Order: sequence, then C-alpha cells, then structure tokens
Amino acid sequence: MSRLEIYSPEGLRVDGRRWNELRRLECSINTHANASDGSSYLEQGNNKVITLVTGPQEPKLRSQMNVTKATISVALNITRFSKIERSKSSHKNERRVLEMQTALVRTFEKNVMLHLYPRTQIEIQIHVLQQDGGLMSSLINGITLALIDAGIAMYDYISGVSIGLYDTTPLLDLNSVEENAMSSVTLGVVGKSEKLSLLLVEDKIPLDRMESVLAIGIAGSHRIRELMDKELRKHGERRLANMST
Amino acid sequence: MISAQTGVLDQVDGSCKLQCGETTVICSVTGPIEPKARQELPSQLALEVVVRPCKGVPNTREKLLEDQIRGVVTPVLAKYLYPRQLCQICFQILESGEPEDEYNVKELNSCINAAYLALIDSGVALQSSFSSVCVSVLGSNNEILVNPTQEQLIKSDSTHILALEVGSGGKKIQNVLLIESNGDFTEEIMFNVLSRAEKACVEVALELRKAVEDKIKRDFIWKQ
Amino acid sequence: MAKEVEIPAAESKFVIECLRQNLRLDSRKFDEFRSVEIELGDDYGDVTVTMGKTKVHCRISCTITQPYEDRPFEGLFFISTETSPMAGPQFENGNNTGEDEVLCSRIIEKAVRRSGALDVEGLCIVAGSKCWAVRADVHFLNCDGGFIDASCIAVMVGLLHFKKPDVSVSGEQVTIHPVDEREPVPLGVLHVPICVSFSFFNPEDAEENIKGESNSEICIIDATLKEELLRDGTLTVTLNKNREVVQVSKAGGLPMDALTLMECCHKAYKITEAITDQINNVLKADATARNQYAAILSSENARES
Repeated sequence: MSRLEIYSPEGLRVDGRRWNELRRLECSINTHANASDGSSYLEQGNNKVITLVTGPQEPKLRSQMNVTKATISVALNITRFSKIERSKSSHKNERRVLEMQTALVRTFEKNVMLHLYPRTQIEIQIHVLQQDGGLMSSLINGITLALIDAGIAMYDYISGVSIGLYDTTPLLDLNSVEENAMSSVTLGVVGKSEKLSLLLVEDKIPLDRMESVLAIGIAGSHRIRELMDKELRKHGERRLANMST
Repeated sequence: MISAQTGVLDQVDGSCKLQCGETTVICSVTGPIEPKARQELPSQLALEVVVRPCKGVPNTREKLLEDQIRGVVTPVLAKYLYPRQLCQICFQILESGEPEDEYNVKELNSCINAAYLALIDSGVALQSSFSSVCVSVLGSNNEILVNPTQEQLIKSDSTHILALEVGSGGKKIQNVLLIESNGDFTEEIMFNVLSRAEKACVEVALELRKAVEDKIKRDFIWKQ
Repeated sequence: MAKEVEIPAAESKFVIECLRQNLRLDSRKFDEFRSVEIELGDDYGDVTVTMGKTKVHCRISCTITQPYEDRPFEGLFFISTETSPMAGPQFENGNNTGEDEVLCSRIIEKAVRRSGALDVEGLCIVAGSKCWAVRADVHFLNCDGGFIDASCIAVMVGLLHFKKPDVSVSGEQVTIHPVDEREPVPLGVLHVPICVSFSFFNPEDAEENIKGESNSEICIIDATLKEELLRDGTLTVTLNKNREVVQVSKAGGLPMDALTLMECCHKAYKITEAITDQINNVLKADATARNQYAAILSSENARES
C-alpha cells in the first residue's frame, strides 16, 4: 500500500479539495429551543457540534458572581464516540480539555458585552458528537452562533479556522488525516477585521512562513463568517415571516 | 556547619534558605492569614505544613515529614494570639543530601531549623526558641556523629534526630519536642546519643541565635 | 480556593497610565526582557533561574522503568509544574486545576515535550523492557510574573546540564555504572525552545479595540506580577535558534492585529537568540569548572596561531 498522498502534485488534497478550499459548512440555530436560551448545531466537514447557551441568569454559586459584569463558563463535553475508535476515558478532566475551555472563555470574554449583564452568569455547554480535525475552530463557530441565538450582545462575530503547512504550501481547514500529518495553526478572527482573538500553534512551523499561513487563515475565517451570516439572516427572515402570518 | 539566609522570598511573610552539609532547603512562612472554612479553629492559630520533595511528587514520606514538623512547631507557636487565623509553612527541598527512599533525618533536621528562622523572619510570635540536630551511630565502637554526611549515614547502624525547646538565650533546655530513632541500638547507646545530641542542639541553637542577631542588625540600623 | 491577589484601583490606574506614557514601573522598555540569571548546583541537572524577582528551581532526575507497550523504543519524559503557597498565597498546594496553572503546564508541555526537545529514543535501554524515565520537577519559589518563560529556561538548562549514569547491556542483563566509576552521559537534546511572553493592554475602550483602525493596544514583553494581573490579553511565543516557531499560544484575551502578532514573533526571535547564547555560555563555563584536570591531562600543546 502506498502512503497516503496528503497533497498531490496536481494540487489536490486527500478529500479532493484544493489548498484554499474550506470544508462543507452547515449550521442552524435555535435547534434546542426548549433546553436553552440559545443553541446551534454546526457541521464543519465531519465535525458535528451542538452548542447550548443558558443565561444571562443568576449564578449558581455566589463566588461566581461579579458585580460589574457577567461571568462566562464553558463546559466542553467531547463524547466518547466522537472519533473512529471509541475512547476509554470521558475526557472530562483532561488538561487538554481544561485548556480548551479556558481558551474559549477568554476568547469570548473580550467579545461579549459583559458589562451589560452585571451579577449574571452565561453558561455555555458544548457537545462534540463527531470530530474530524480542527475541533477548536468548530467550537468557536458554534459558540458564536449560539450566543447570537441567545440574543446576547456581542461586538462582532468570531470565526475560527485551522490552517496547516505542508512543506511550503498552506492548506486551509484541515481534516484529521491532514492534522496528524502536518503542523497546524488555529485562528479565531474578529468579524471582518484582521484582529486575532485566538492564535494557537502546536507544532513546529518556520518563522518566515507564519505570515502567509496567517493571511490564508484570516481569509478563510472571513469566508466562514459570511457563511454563518447568511444562515443567520435566512433564519431571521423565516422567523419574521412566521410572525407576520 | 549551618549557613542560612533569611528573607530570600518576597511574596511571603518570612523565608529562609538553609544549608546544612549536603542538604539545602528553603522554607516560607505566610501568616497570620485568613484560613479556609475547614481549617479555621475558633480559639487558636491553625497551621498548614507543606513539604515538597526535590524530585518527584509528594508522597507518604513527605506527609510523615509534615506531621513531624507540625509536632515540633505546634507547641512553640503562640497559637492563642491568633484565633481564627492560619499560618502556612512551606518547605521546598532543593538538595536532599541523603538517599530519599531510605532516610529522611537530614531533610527533617534542616527543615526544623529553617522553620525556626523563617518563623522569626515572618514575625509570627513564638513562645520560645527551638533547634534540632541529627546524629548517626557508626561502627563497632559506636562512634556518635553529629550531622553525618551522606556516606556516614548509609554506613551507620542507627540514626537519631532530636529537637529541643531552648530557653533563656540558649542556656536552658525547656522541653523535648521530637526524638526519632531508627536502626539497631541499645539503651546505653541511646543515653549516650541523647547527652551528645543535647549539647549539639544547644550549639545549633546558639548558631541560629547568631543568625537572628545578624539579621536584626541588618534589618534595623540603630543610631544613637 | 485560595484568594486572588487584588490590586487597589488607584494603583492599577497608575500602572496603566504609566504604560500609556510609555513607562514601566521597573523602568524597563516595553520590549526589554528582564536579565536572566542561571545558577547551576553541584549535582547535574540542578538549576535555579532568576528573572528579576521571579525565581524558579528545576531538578532533573532519572530512573529505570518499563516503556509504554505501544512505544517500545522510547523512554519516558515527564515535566511536573506544581505550585505551592511558597510562590505566593494565591497558589494552593497540590491544586493544579486553576486556569493559569493549567495553561502554564500545557505550554511548557507543548514547548518542551511535544516539540521533541528531548530525544526520547535515546533513553531506550532494552527495547520493550527497560528504558530511562526522565523527570523534570519545576519548583516555583518566588512569583513576580513570567513563570512560563523562566520555567522553560530552567527545564531546558536542566536537560542540557543533566547527565545520566552510563549503562552497559549484555543480552537482557543491564549494568548501571555509578557516576564515580564511569563518566555519566548527557541527554540528547535536539533543540532548545525558549518561551517569550507578551502582555497586551487596551488603553482605549473595547469598541475602539474591535472596530477601530488605530491599533493603539500596548504590547509589553516579560510582564511582572502586577502587569500580569492587570493585562487584558497575553501571548506566549516559543521559538528556537533555527528560526522555527515551536508553539504559539494566544488563548483568547484582547483581540490583536495579525501584523502586530507577527512583529511580536520577530521580537521574540531576537530574545531567543540572546538567551540561547547565554545558556550555552553558562554551560560551557560550568563544564570547564568541573573538569579542572583537563589542562593537565591534555597532551595538546599550546600553539601559536
């Protein structure tokens, strides 16, 4: 058996995409209307993520209360069946998961207008049903959508995407096969700007290639923002139509 | 034999880095501070002792050290001056100077002496001074060695550690705070060890007293 | 939960106002790293790193164990970064689930362990049954910010300085030679990652940060504890001398312009180069100090060049 060709000389990747193509992105909001104040379901390639937002509500513990602004908490549930091989542990208190939760909280803390909701708590629950590379970026997109559905004031969208570097070619939006074969960068971009809220590099990348990787990533994030925006507007129109009848 | 520096850390109220032969420990004291609800004692100062080993994670061995140190420090602290407060004493072993899986005397000895200096540095009130010494008994003629080196420790038949409460400027021994003996020894050896260790303990107490005097001279410059 | 350190409002205003006027409390420039002091102990792999008032001690040790079943050719390598109240009353003993503690340990883990700074294959003694397990225990002694940077330097110097006892293998029989019998062997260190942390402050309001074009955010290198407590965002860049980005972590916080972040990476490279050179000099000086007989034993003659 020949080794898997990550990027063919013709410029095709394992799943037939070109270097600058995103995976299929489908999303919907208000999917769990009874269980939460805001919810979203996002499919980014084979990543499938449910995000539920409850709040702003009274904090469960007094210690979580802040008199000047709302507090955000993120609970990340990576299900055992989310990968091809069923995992033995529940991932719950793994350091990797704790780190991801902290990163997500800190990303959205600066983007949500927390000062509008003093003495409250915004709880975000994420359930990862299936994962296939670039998980962190899907989580960011899912949370953005769910927060919008919950009607929580934000400055702008935050859209996430992962980029890999294969030899000298940057590849946009990695799946898990690609993610295992090369080093990857995860971005969280604020709106249509070039401002990064989140930037994670976990493997070696030449310093001089970083710039091109970031440029592709920002362009990709803007595209994801557009896709999410389109879906949200469609949802809004549908709601308006329902109201008027 | 002992070289000590106080006030080496500045995020805590009192600290001391103490080197005794091959063993180096650093001790920090924070207190009196607000305790957690479960630590709080209604009428006196609560004490939290933490010993962190040089290598690896804290184990039952460190728990034992913590208990022994607590036993030495508790009777000396002026606990009733600080009701509903907490005093944290932390030790970090920088160099053990003994095989960690078999011995703990050298570390314990250094920790107790470091705790004394760090407590004084912190200004938490003590009822009296204390000092400790470790002793090993070696060979067929039962030679008694004070503060043995690692090699002497491994060869020894028995090891002993003695901590005393010393009063009136190191002249009067008030109380025995800790005696721990390990290995083979007879009653006679034990008595010999005790009388030798007692003298050594007073010497250490005087040495520590000197360190405190130096510190105070440096801390406050008295001008006529 | 231990109590957080709180800074009085007046003082926090003062610090930020100073930053607005291009000043820092310790009179450093914004892109100036504190001078690093590296002290080596008598034993191999005993390092104390001091950066300003921050003090970190690292001790490397090794034992022989069995390798993991799925990786029979690799030795084991652990890094432990546990905090104790010694570094400050805000740290709790043995509780490492605090946000900052988790981030710190994960960044060190990624920078050193996952980047393959230590050659774990070189730790294998008998494939599948015996290997070295190397431990790096990082002890935080005094906290004045920059724990990540200091502990990364401490771990790397420790690994470079450490020597493990020599072993010889005949069949399944493994002999460990005591250090005084046979010269111990150094570990295989493949590259030296250096972490540099940046702190971001927003002098304007949040709207200006997100919607504005001014990019007026303040970016400083190697924050002290006070600056760390007041900052709006942080970025830790890990690089090595080969111009490779080993790890970057900007886990949320103040959104920053991508170009500013790239600039930070380039600034970090200069610091990385300087610190790597310093580490090499310290180790070289230590090696010559230890080997005092080299000059006598050497058969080389001094040459006129």
